[in-house]
Amino acid sequence: MRFILALSAALLVSGSAFADDVIHLSIKDHKYEPARLEVPAGVKFKLLVKNEDPTPEEFESFELKREKVVPPGQEIPVFLGPLDPGEYKFFGDFHQDTAQGVMVAK
Amino acid sequence: MFVASSRWLGAVAALALFVPAVAHADFHTRSPDEIDEGEIELEHNGAASFDRNAANDGARAYTAEIGYGVNSWWHPEVELGFERAPGPGQSTNATGVVLENIFRLTEPGEYWADLGFYAEYGFSTVGHTADSTLFGPLIEKDIGRTTQTLNIFLGKNVGPNQDNHGYDLSYAWQGRWNMWRAFSPAVEVYGDAGQIDRIGKFQDQQFLVGPVAVGSFLVGPLGKFKYETGYLFGATRASANGTVRWKLELEIPI
Repeated sequence: MRFILALSAALLVSGSAFADDVIHLSIKDHKYEPARLEVPAGVKFKLLVKNEDPTPEEFESFELKREKVVPPGQEIPVFLGPLDPGEYKFFGDFHQDTAQGVMVAK
Repeated sequence: MFVASSRWLGAVAALALFVPAVAHADFHTRSPDEIDEGEIELEHNGAASFDRNAANDGARAYTAEIGYGVNSWWHPEVELGFERAPGPGQSTNATGVVLENIFRLTEPGEYWADLGFYAEYGFSTVGHTADSTLFGPLIEKDIGRTTQTLNIFLGKNVGPNQDNHGYDLSYAWQGRWNMWRAFSPAVEVYGDAGQIDRIGKFQDQQFLVGPVAVGSFLVGPLGKFKYETGYLFGATRASANGTVRWKLELEIPI
């Protein structure tokens, strides 16, 4: 148990610096708003994804290695980065025909 | 940090409730990031071992599981286990009911590595066989295009039928190259060092290593289908020469 506690402490205290601003993304009518999202390159940042629809959605990006269900009416944090400059696609797994977006890291 | 602390308290409290697992062949790694709130998960795991020695050949293990993402950090599951012991003339029998719990202690990407905690209690359904517990940390780290997952577990027999009082040390590692969503290659290692107060020679420990394929597909309104399958080579005399292992999972959003 001591090993487990020591290991968790080491992992928890060694986080990288985050960008000051939180970035917001919402889901409405099974679409991302904004669909093209600018984010800082080279630093970690916190993305808050709010689902304004009455049905669940899953924020997913294979390129960003994230996959997280957003329950209806709720907001979830997604920690990302540091990203290299470039474009990263994301989508809503349960409504892939409409819920598409691109993250642009600058 | 407060959230992480409260989750630790939850994990420790659950550990107190669900003290030590039935020794079931359980070849799959567990990720601290596989929790999805409000999602039902149907899962089947299987393993079939082969060995040149007939006495060690033919072991099989199967599970049928159902789980639910209660919130963003707790995912309990109930598992039915079936096993066939190695050797000729054996039959497949139900061996236990296992209550599994995965606790997410950090958000994915929030810290240097993602951390979770796993605790299970296995009720044996075989006469004169001990109940058991299994618990330990789940660690995951993205490095470049790869995802590294490490599980380190302690297991213990409990109850009146326990045949030893020691803690068993086991571990599992998966290194995955995130190639495509439908298919990503990975390498896995599974080891069991035995009781921590009497760890023997490496050749007497269970150690398996081999390639695995991992992927997922959307299956319309049903949700998402995930699979893992691979072949593990036994690297010690205490391990079967080869083991095929698979995992099939359906995630259904509610």
